Amino acid sequence: MKQFSLRILISVLALSFGEIQGQSSDDACFQCHLEIDEDMDVSVMENINNDVHILKGLGCADCHGGDPQAFDDPDVSMWDSEDFIGSMDKLEQVQVCRKCHSDPTYMRQFTVSMKTDQVAQFWTSQHGTLLKSGDNNVASCSSCHGVHGIYPVSDPRSTVYPLNIPETCAGCHSDNDYMAEYDVKTDQFEKYRNSVHGTALYESGDISAPVCNDCHGNHGAVPPEIEYLSDICGTCHINNMNLFRDSNLSRIFTETGLPQCETCHGNHEILKPIDQMLDLSNQPNCESACHVDTGDIGVILSKEIFQVIDSLKVTMIHAQGRVDVADQKGMEVSELFIHMEDALKTLIQTRTSIHSFDIDHIKSVAQEGFEATTLAIAGAEEAINEHGFRRKGLFLFSLIITVFVVVLYLRSRISS
Amino acid sequence: MSVFNWLNDRFNLAAVQKFMKKKQVPIFYGTVWYYLGGISLFLFIIQVVTGILLVLYYQPGAATAYESVKFIVGTVEFGWLIREVHSWSANLFVFFIFLHMFTVYFARAYRKPREMTWLSGFVLLILSLLFGFSGYLLPWNELAYSATKVGSDIAGAIPVVGDFFLRLLRAGDDVSGATLTRFYGIHTAIVPLVFSFILAVHLIFIQVQGMSIPPKLEKVPKEELKTMKFFPDFVTKDFMAWLIVLNIIALLAVFFPWDVGVKADPLAPAPAGIRPEWYFMFMFQTLKLIPAHVFFMEGELFGILVFIIGGMIWFLVPFLDRNPHRRKRTNFWTYFGVVVVIYMIVLTVWGYLV
Repeated sequence: MKQFSLRILISVLALSFGEIQGQSSDDACFQCHLEIDEDMDVSVMENINNDVHILKGLGCADCHGGDPQAFDDPDVSMWDSEDFIGSMDKLEQVQVCRKCHSDPTYMRQFTVSMKTDQVAQFWTSQHGTLLKSGDNNVASCSSCHGVHGIYPVSDPRSTVYPLNIPETCAGCHSDNDYMAEYDVKTDQFEKYRNSVHGTALYESGDISAPVCNDCHGNHGAVPPEIEYLSDICGTCHINNMNLFRDSNLSRIFTETGLPQCETCHGNHEILKPIDQMLDLSNQPNCESACHVDTGDIGVILSKEIFQVIDSLKVTMIHAQGRVDVADQKGMEVSELFIHMEDALKTLIQTRTSIHSFDIDHIKSVAQEGFEATTLAIAGAEEAINEHGFRRKGLFLFSLIITVFVVVLYLRSRISS
Repeated sequence: MSVFNWLNDRFNLAAVQKFMKKKQVPIFYGTVWYYLGGISLFLFIIQVVTGILLVLYYQPGAATAYESVKFIVGTVEFGWLIREVHSWSANLFVFFIFLHMFTVYFARAYRKPREMTWLSGFVLLILSLLFGFSGYLLPWNELAYSATKVGSDIAGAIPVVGDFFLRLLRAGDDVSGATLTRFYGIHTAIVPLVFSFILAVHLIFIQVQGMSIPPKLEKVPKEELKTMKFFPDFVTKDFMAWLIVLNIIALLAVFFPWDVGVKADPLAPAPAGIRPEWYFMFMFQTLKLIPAHVFFMEGELFGILVFIIGGMIWFLVPFLDRNPHRRKRTNFWTYFGVVVVIYMIVLTVWGYLV
């Protein structure tokens, strides 16, 4: 008892120096665990003061139960209490979190728009399904969000902040030993990091770039089904999805069991699409699956699409060159730059339109770009000719003026 | 009956003709400087003519000014030529007025009886600078916008009347569409009206008093002084000079066109490389170099006060130069003028190099 009182005294001294803020001075759990934390394998109190729950006024007992006012006796504060839960297993964790996070009335006091379906979704996920079946190795709430020291999702320090999610998932999914019994690949993170999405996230710091949960879901994370792939990609790439869904190729993919977007673009290692992807010899999936013969309709179509895009690009380069020449001559060509911007916009639209796999549609989209470049070239040529006209005009003007000045000079010499 | 006779019966043109034929222009080593005033006048006429043509298409206003300038340059037949000639002749106008002023200064032509000619000429210089300052904003591009902001800030730092001036120029607290409209009014109505009046006074003074000659030639008997007739000899040579300047303007207009730039956006950050027109550069650079505090006042305020006092000294030099008739070519005011010219050139070059 004497030793217990000493612990309280040490804790009170620590509190008086401001190491622990908030309601902790009213909480018996804090007073003891601050000290014994050092003796534990995992320091439960680390970062506790930044925890969103503590900051919102909750205490240890709100999750663990017990009596936080029992300062004098640990038995009373913990073991004698019927609702006390000490160290939790993953199933208990989910139940504890659910108490508040599935209660819309309770959660509304913190954020009006806060979702309360996380646990319901979790039970539909691969993690939840396995947990229910008794697998205690799968992820539960704390696996992703942390335990004591949970930050709000919008906080960059949070393990589930967009910039940190891939590494949080990779904590388990890139661990060969951990994932061995599940027959799941562990190279997703490495592939993702090199992908166009990963580059946008890590190199440009673009937190709107998709991370693991944007495609797989978060609380309801499941491996995407083949038939839903275009829906997932189409969340962002809506035009591509609509065009592809209406295409003949989509039907064939579905019939043959091929994944949709993934067949050409891959999944975790999606690289920035380039026009050369239209060369089917660069597409092992296409070549090996169907388009073996050079006379094959797919091979011919892809060549035609490539020609449309390449032709637009070449015309644009030529037009840009002529506009630049006119610009360098000091002519007013801002209208022509607008035509070039229109052409560039059309090139992007044409690249999107290839997902229709309809050459007539693709040509009709590209047509606007050809028209814009034609206007730009015509305007540039006109400006270049105008520049030549101005020079000739200047030469003629200067000649007349010079002759006139010379005549006046000679006349004044004679008269004087 | 000829037209001349018809007019002569009514307006006595013969008297004007007689005056012009009788008028003599001295011929000496400095005769060439006489043409600078005429060239400045010619450039003003070009400004008026091209300015009127631009007004036919220019639309003042934050939403229309930039677009209308682009329309003039890109669509209107020979609109580009009118704008280029207007812009280049504006710069040459200021340049020749400065040149004219310095030649008059170093020839001490401001001495009695031409004090009023000097004073009116100085006012014309100030008005030409106001022409330039107000005209610079009219295309409403980002450089002009930022430069006007900085320039009007400087005007706002003038003691006592600065705040009034700032609001008067900007038509509000900041440079906006209202400022543009105000500058348009200043540029196309107020300054031309005042300028034309003072110019007329300036020219009448010159015609009444004749050309100034150096003090040492004043002692030479009139019959020994070499002269030429104002009409037609001097007028012909003046006309030749005008044609040469016109040729130079055409050359500049074709080979060095003025960029319309990027449209002004009051919400955008100021672009890099904001600088005023070249004729304000020496003042701008001076204000940049002055420390934040000089003696008991702010550096900028100190700089402005120095320029105001310097300008007043320059303006009143006919009354400050106690012995302008001395035959000796150099005196204090000559050295003062040399220092001013060197200072302006060095600071202007410095401003462009930094």
